[in-house]
Amino acid sequence: MNNKNQGYIFFSFFLILVVALTSCKHEEGEYHSIIDKIKNKSKNYHGVTLSSESYLGDDKMIKITEDGHTFLIPERKGKLKSFKCSECHSKPLSQINDEDLKKAHWDIKIVHANEKTMNCLTCHNSNNMDELKSITGKSIDFNRSYNLCNQCHTKQFDDWKGGAHGKRIGGWAPPRASLSCVNCHNPHNPSFEKKWPERYNSQKTKERK
Amino acid sequence: MSEKNKKWFSLNLNNNSNKTSTSCGCGKTSGGCKTHNQEELDENVFFNAAVDASVGEQRPKDGIDQVFDVKMDRRTAFKKLTASLLIGAGAVSTSCSTLASDESKEKAQIDWEEQFKGNYKLMSNEEKEATVTRLVRSYQLRTGKTLNMSSVDAQKDVLYGYAFNISKCQGYMDCVNACVEENNQDRNSQMQYIRIHEMKDGKGFNFNESDDNYYHEVPAEGHFYMGTQCFHCDNPPCVEVCPVQATWREDDGLVVVDYDWCVGCRYCMAACPYDGRRFNWSKPEVPEEQINKNQHYLGNRMRKKGVMEKCTFCVQRSRAGKNPACVEACPTGARIFGNLLDPNSTIRWVLENKKVFRLKEDLGTEPKFWYFMD
Repeated sequence: MNNKNQGYIFFSFFLILVVALTSCKHEEGEYHSIIDKIKNKSKNYHGVTLSSESYLGDDKMIKITEDGHTFLIPERKGKLKSFKCSECHSKPLSQINDEDLKKAHWDIKIVHANEKTMNCLTCHNSNNMDELKSITGKSIDFNRSYNLCNQCHTKQFDDWKGGAHGKRIGGWAPPRASLSCVNCHNPHNPSFEKKWPERYNSQKTKERK
Repeated sequence: MSEKNKKWFSLNLNNNSNKTSTSCGCGKTSGGCKTHNQEELDENVFFNAAVDASVGEQRPKDGIDQVFDVKMDRRTAFKKLTASLLIGAGAVSTSCSTLASDESKEKAQIDWEEQFKGNYKLMSNEEKEATVTRLVRSYQLRTGKTLNMSSVDAQKDVLYGYAFNISKCQGYMDCVNACVEENNQDRNSQMQYIRIHEMKDGKGFNFNESDDNYYHEVPAEGHFYMGTQCFHCDNPPCVEVCPVQATWREDDGLVVVDYDWCVGCRYCMAACPYDGRRFNWSKPEVPEEQINKNQHYLGNRMRKKGVMEKCTFCVQRSRAGKNPACVEACPTGARIFGNLLDPNSTIRWVLENKKVFRLKEDLGTEPKFWYFMD
């Protein structure tokens, strides 16, 4: 008798379980959440025919691959006003103290970390001004200056590689092109300036009456 | 038009009333009127003749058929005829006049066909093409200037999504400017799709205490900024409430409005939990030289007084592979746009690697607009 009752209990428990598991199953094309839908629908993703290549304009881009992410960043050297640096900096920095020399960029003030942490030579290579250098003295190309930034800003670098930090240019369609660190942040003064908003809406109060 | 392939939403009203038999032309309330069907056919013939007489050789196929190829009794028929012809009267009189120039005749013809076109949602590709061609030609006739209007449909394997970095936004409002210029919004009423809310640090998303009409140097001390616009919900309440189906969700996830089908009841405005929709209280005006001539039927083409409009993720841009104007204008890179179905897209990386959240997630509207922080 007891056994039989137990059997019933087990059976009904099993039945409830089955109902509970299947009743939430939606019809085809319906999903619990948008995330489910995205995951499911992107399983058979075949790519799009659209391309944003033509929107990149005439600016020269270079292709980089970092940590499995391949994308384009703007070429830098061609945009530097007085590259190559060695055209003036023929001698090491310590020897350029000649007062006859034309002053070029003595107005640059470093507002980046504090004096204990950074000075010119943290990034610039005094022996080869055409290249930058890492903390350990390895040379870094001007076109890939993000390698300099990512020595400290590792979190921002991760976000940038993935696409959460740094402005995307061209369009959403492949290929991906993103601005590099120095396109938005002045390396000598990287924080954004305060400014007035671009517009004020004089009708908003009226609109809401 | 037979019952089976009836295509236009609102014009079957009379068929429905026949089915429910609440009233008919002969005054009986039950379905016992035997002469009814016969009479309807006669009316139909009468109408074709009437229309043929009024527009002559130029009788268009698509627009008119929608209105007149409907079985109707005499009373409703006259009602419809009066209402429609009153609007089309100007058009007809011009098109039939021997004094009017060819251009004004063509204009009248376009106005006539535009008056009687159907809901864009139900149009075939040829019909979409035709209405876009008419609108472009009409603009050309009126202003002498040409514009480029597209009727591109949603692409396969595309679902648009948006992410907004609230740590990055500085409240500069470049996005708002770009949006207004791109989407030809009314300059007089200063209509804006995007709102940037200035929120106090430590208070969370408190819209009651936020300021979305600030004018001081930004970013202000102790504040953060977040933007709202249409979130293009996957389960959009605004679409549900529209009595004329003038707004709908496209296959690529964009929630769009047919400005020519909208009746301006503003139900959608009331249904939207995100303040995402805007209404044209007055005739929208944009100075001719500021009009963005790269347009899409569902996007930034010129609207009229009394219709709803809203952000379309710049359909004229996004369906061409570009980023919406707000994304392109943002100097901080706080705005991320992309294809949710592409596993390698940046928007997917954000969704999978950052701590994202949405506004009023508990409503089940499934907005495709995520917020995140650094």
